[in-house]
Amino acid sequence: MFKLIFLKELKEIIQSSRFTISFAVCSVLIILSFFMGAQNYLSSKAQYEAAVQENRNQIAANTEWMMVDHTITLPPQPLMALVNGISNDIGRNIEMSGRGELRADNTRFNDEPIFAIFRFMDLEFIFGIVLSLFAIIFAYDAINGEKVSGTLKLCFANSVSRAAFIGGKLAGSFVGLSTALLIPMLIGCALLPLLGIQLSADEWTRLGLIIFSGLAYFGLFLALAISVSAITSRPSNSFLIGLVVWIFAVLIVPRSSVLISGRLVEVPNVDEITAQKNRYRIQLFEEDRPKMENFSVPEGTEPSEVMTAFSSFMGELSSARQEKIDAFTERINEEFENKRRRQEEVALGLSRISPTSVFTLASTELAGTSLQLQNRFMDSANEYQNVYGNFMTEKTGQNQGGGFRMIMVTDEDQEEPENLDPDEMPQFEYAKATVEEATANSILDMGLLILFNIIFFGGAFAAFLRYDLR
Amino acid sequence: MNNETIKQAPLLEARNLTKVYEDGVKALDNLQLRVHPGEIFAMLGGNGAGKTTTINLFLDFIQPTSGHAFINGIDANADPLEAKKNVAFVSENVQLYPNFTAMQNVDFFVRLGGRHQYKRSDYEAALVRVGLQREAFDKKLKDFSKGMRQKCGIAIAILKDAPAILLDEPTSGLDPKAGKEFTRLVGDLRDEGKAILMSTHDIFRAKEISDHVGILNGGVLVAQKTNAELKGVNLEQLYVEYMAGYMEETLETGPLTNNLT
Repeated sequence: MFKLIFLKELKEIIQSSRFTISFAVCSVLIILSFFMGAQNYLSSKAQYEAAVQENRNQIAANTEWMMVDHTITLPPQPLMALVNGISNDIGRNIEMSGRGELRADNTRFNDEPIFAIFRFMDLEFIFGIVLSLFAIIFAYDAINGEKVSGTLKLCFANSVSRAAFIGGKLAGSFVGLSTALLIPMLIGCALLPLLGIQLSADEWTRLGLIIFSGLAYFGLFLALAISVSAITSRPSNSFLIGLVVWIFAVLIVPRSSVLISGRLVEVPNVDEITAQKNRYRIQLFEEDRPKMENFSVPEGTEPSEVMTAFSSFMGELSSARQEKIDAFTERINEEFENKRRRQEEVALGLSRISPTSVFTLASTELAGTSLQLQNRFMDSANEYQNVYGNFMTEKTGQNQGGGFRMIMVTDEDQEEPENLDPDEMPQFEYAKATVEEATANSILDMGLLILFNIIFFGGAFAAFLRYDLR
Repeated sequence: MNNETIKQAPLLEARNLTKVYEDGVKALDNLQLRVHPGEIFAMLGGNGAGKTTTINLFLDFIQPTSGHAFINGIDANADPLEAKKNVAFVSENVQLYPNFTAMQNVDFFVRLGGRHQYKRSDYEAALVRVGLQREAFDKKLKDFSKGMRQKCGIAIAILKDAPAILLDEPTSGLDPKAGKEFTRLVGDLRDEGKAILMSTHDIFRAKEISDHVGILNGGVLVAQKTNAELKGVNLEQLYVEYMAGYMEETLETGPLTNNLT
């Protein structure tokens, strides 16, 4: 009986005009999202390569390592284009200095602010917004529609158990619709290599898990719509309830959770922190000013020796100041980070009431574009800073903090200095999360998606067992 | 048990069947009726008389407050899945799946009824028998008229080949020609030995084909007559008199005792 109802459901879905229209629209959107994602990736890759080349040219144009302005750039990843996450919102470039605080600038939206308004049509958008709505549109009258039309009564005039009926209906709807969605997904995947994007095995695994999470997310909205249709008698009511739940899940809960967490855990804003650091820096400089004013050398000292002594004196002062600044910055940053992390935890915890947030967190984690992207980029940059600092010390004799440079130029006849070799500069490598790490980080959210499915499928099942068939 | 006994056993039986809804409305009060093989029992009554409630109780769509509904000797509320193997149902307004063709609908519902042995030619024969034109077999139901849908419904009931059939106002809204065709088909099914319980507003059609006519009012079976008893009787007048008499008596003394023959 289950099989019969399952197959009926499949046939009914495929033969309906609602399916034809929705399938056509979704297929176009899904394939378009892969296509646009691929184009975005290729464009980001070209920008990245140009930025790296520009940085090399800048190095090669110099004759002194001290004059080099070295910038590192976050390399684009193919999955970033398919699930944007925060990749377009964070700075992609960091001007490197041997010590001190690093800061990422130049977000994607700096270059193309129009996208900050309308955002990209990535897989997260397709699943999170379009397909969840598609699930509700498809299933809002799954049960009460049959009641109103009279087919439910006709079915149950036969020897059919309610469990077999609702089981067949749930399974048939899910398999029918998710298979239909998988087709454009697979076409999209096949398009990637054709468009010149070669994914590694690791990336294919991640993409597979993202699609799996997307289908689980779609399935839970389908089950939700079916359960609502099994507790209401009129399709118009179930559509309205489904729509309200969707609005809460997709639009209200994620935003509200951030607002509520902001109230629950207060975090000073970045400008306050920066001002605090600047005040401290100025205070230390002012403290050092009398020492600088009192700098003196024995009379008759050679100018070159004066310069060397002054440079050494300033270097020592600067190093001592920097140590204090570093300690202060570290403490203040740690406090800030702890509060921010606590606020994020509260926000993410609250937002997980919504399946949409759960899906967003799972998919961005798998794509490497979650909140961790910024932390990882900064961690990689900080790690690289040590390598860079050592390299610069080796090349220039001092570790530059950036900004203040003193170079002695003499007019003595010298050989024309050689240009620098950019290959000597240590390469920056962004340490992205491995597939195991990404899976481990997203396991909670994938588990929650499965749990939501169990709850809503179970809810539909339980509601239908008590449904008035008349 | 000899063959005679088996032949005489009712295929549809209501025993003290009572239904009181949660809001306190008594939809059916102590109903007693029996429909034997080869008989048509027509339930007459106005809206809210209890006709559809009776059918819903036989189909286990609702639970009786007291009493029992038996299909082929099986308690329809105690073992509904087994009981429903023995009954086919045609509703007032047959609404099959609109995106399926007539053939696909028939195939699905006949299989749902537990009949898996049929071929397309069997479905075609049943649809021809109920008078559906061949050109309509592979057309989607959404383009069908009510009469055409009703024909598909009766074809499904024929193919299920259950010993008992429940018809809930099956001719309501049909044009006279379609109504007459439908009546002929129901008569044929009775002649094949089916026990048919039919609810209807149509007094004349009820008298024309039924072996028993019961008049329901306010959930009470106020009268029950055989076809022989109705010969030469103006059923319409009788119906009105019973309804009026019942109402008067109800006001004075409460519900009438069932007038079972």
